[in-house]
Amino acid sequence: MSDQPAAGRRAVIAGVATTDYPNHPDLTELAVHAIAGERALADAGLSWEDVDGYSSAGFFPMHAVQVCEYLGIHPHYLDETNIGGASFEVLVEHAAAAVERGQAEVVLITYGSVQLSQMGRRLGTGGTGPAPVGTATSDAVWGNTLVGNYALAAARHIHEFGTTPEQLAEIAVTMREHAVANPLAQYREPIAVDDVLASRLVADPLHVLDCCVISDGGAACVVTTEERARDLPKPAAHVLGAAHATTHHMNISQMPDLTITSAAESGPLAMQRAGITVDDVDVLQVYDSFTVTVLLTLEDLGFCKKGDGGGFVENGRLRWDGPLPTNTDGGGLSACHPGMRGMFLIVEAVRQLRGEGTARQVTDVEIALCHGTGGMLSTGATLVLGTEHR
Amino acid sequence: MSESPFPETMPSPWVSAHTLPWWQAAAEHRLVVQTCRECGATRHPPAPRCWSCRAPAHEWTELPGTGAVYTFTVVHKSFIPGLEVPHVVAAVELDASGNARLVTNIVGCAPSDVTIGMRVAVTWDDIAPDLSLPRFVPA
Repeated sequence: MSDQPAAGRRAVIAGVATTDYPNHPDLTELAVHAIAGERALADAGLSWEDVDGYSSAGFFPMHAVQVCEYLGIHPHYLDETNIGGASFEVLVEHAAAAVERGQAEVVLITYGSVQLSQMGRRLGTGGTGPAPVGTATSDAVWGNTLVGNYALAAARHIHEFGTTPEQLAEIAVTMREHAVANPLAQYREPIAVDDVLASRLVADPLHVLDCCVISDGGAACVVTTEERARDLPKPAAHVLGAAHATTHHMNISQMPDLTITSAAESGPLAMQRAGITVDDVDVLQVYDSFTVTVLLTLEDLGFCKKGDGGGFVENGRLRWDGPLPTNTDGGGLSACHPGMRGMFLIVEAVRQLRGEGTARQVTDVEIALCHGTGGMLSTGATLVLGTEHR
Repeated sequence: MSESPFPETMPSPWVSAHTLPWWQAAAEHRLVVQTCRECGATRHPPAPRCWSCRAPAHEWTELPGTGAVYTFTVVHKSFIPGLEVPHVVAAVELDASGNARLVTNIVGCAPSDVTIGMRVAVTWDDIAPDLSLPRFVPA
């Protein structure tokens, strides 16, 4: 980070965990938080008594406070910054700053959702409620959907750069290959490009298999100092740099250019703060709400030129054993996507840095980059992690 | 009422003091854009201050009601009860608006006939006495 903290106080991630996603039919959302948190603390070799900071993002205000009450913890550092799916990269950025300044020693960050099970539990078809509050001309008034927003971006990219649906499908195929090697993944049957193109269109040009899955699941991490982590059992993942940015709120019509996301701002800034370039990245974990999200993020982070993403993802470039291993757990497209997925990116990045990637372990990982995307391509948050400070 | 594939269950717009004039103009079948009195920059959706010079003073400029499709999608799966699919959701760049973009629908042609860059013109869908929605047809 740009302001150098005191010796030994540099921030690290000492523990990570997920629940046994993607189905938690017998659990409440709060119980999913508790399981993820308990496992992350155990992974770090710490206990609830060590926690003096807590962060989370949910869908209602005072969410983090509610989880604290449920867990019976009374931290003096609290954060529930919510910028959508990118929130958890920001929560780590904030927690890192807090421990480096001495505001907290051990910050637990958890996420939990029973989105999939709740869909099954609801009776009746339900309404969609009012259009999203915020602007007069909410896009939903015209029947636009969440997937429709991303489809508008995909269609524009196809128009401007000649990107093909086949190239978008390639991303889904690679994520599924990774999911095959992840025993928890929601979908593990291998798929081909033709399967993606033959799947039902949700919002042209995005098919069902271009969209993330809907899951239950929880994930958590523990942020502490380098000094504290020295006595802990697992190798620490060092927080090297982070940054976030936004282009618009929930109406994608207000995004200045539908082919350029806020990753174009947060990515270079985070890498500059970390003292790295894209060439240093050994493994990449990017938010894959949709195939097009990955394509745009790769370009905006600088792994290829704007417009070249389609050709870039061909020939297995994103495979775990390829030149740019991406979403090695199978991502939101195949492993799990419980509402907001940002924490799962961090968990997989830390595991790859530790060499705990099991059958999908990338060789010689020293730098992992996570990038979360929130809202309707509205926000982006980049987090650079490494095996050591540099 | 014009013939509309859009049911009464469609979400209603949320209106504030800043946005009400836009909807009042729409109810009179006038497509307008908010224009800064200081620097002339346009902004949409309506907002309390200019995004360029931050001045609050503004006026409502009536637009010709034509534009070009910036991007579009054919929605095949909707969660709004009664809404027929497929239907076209497009972002239209409005002529003479300083490139203000409106998410809207393209109607009056088959979804397969819609292309990016296509010229379109507004058609008003009268939903209620105080609510008319601008949709667009091929120009």
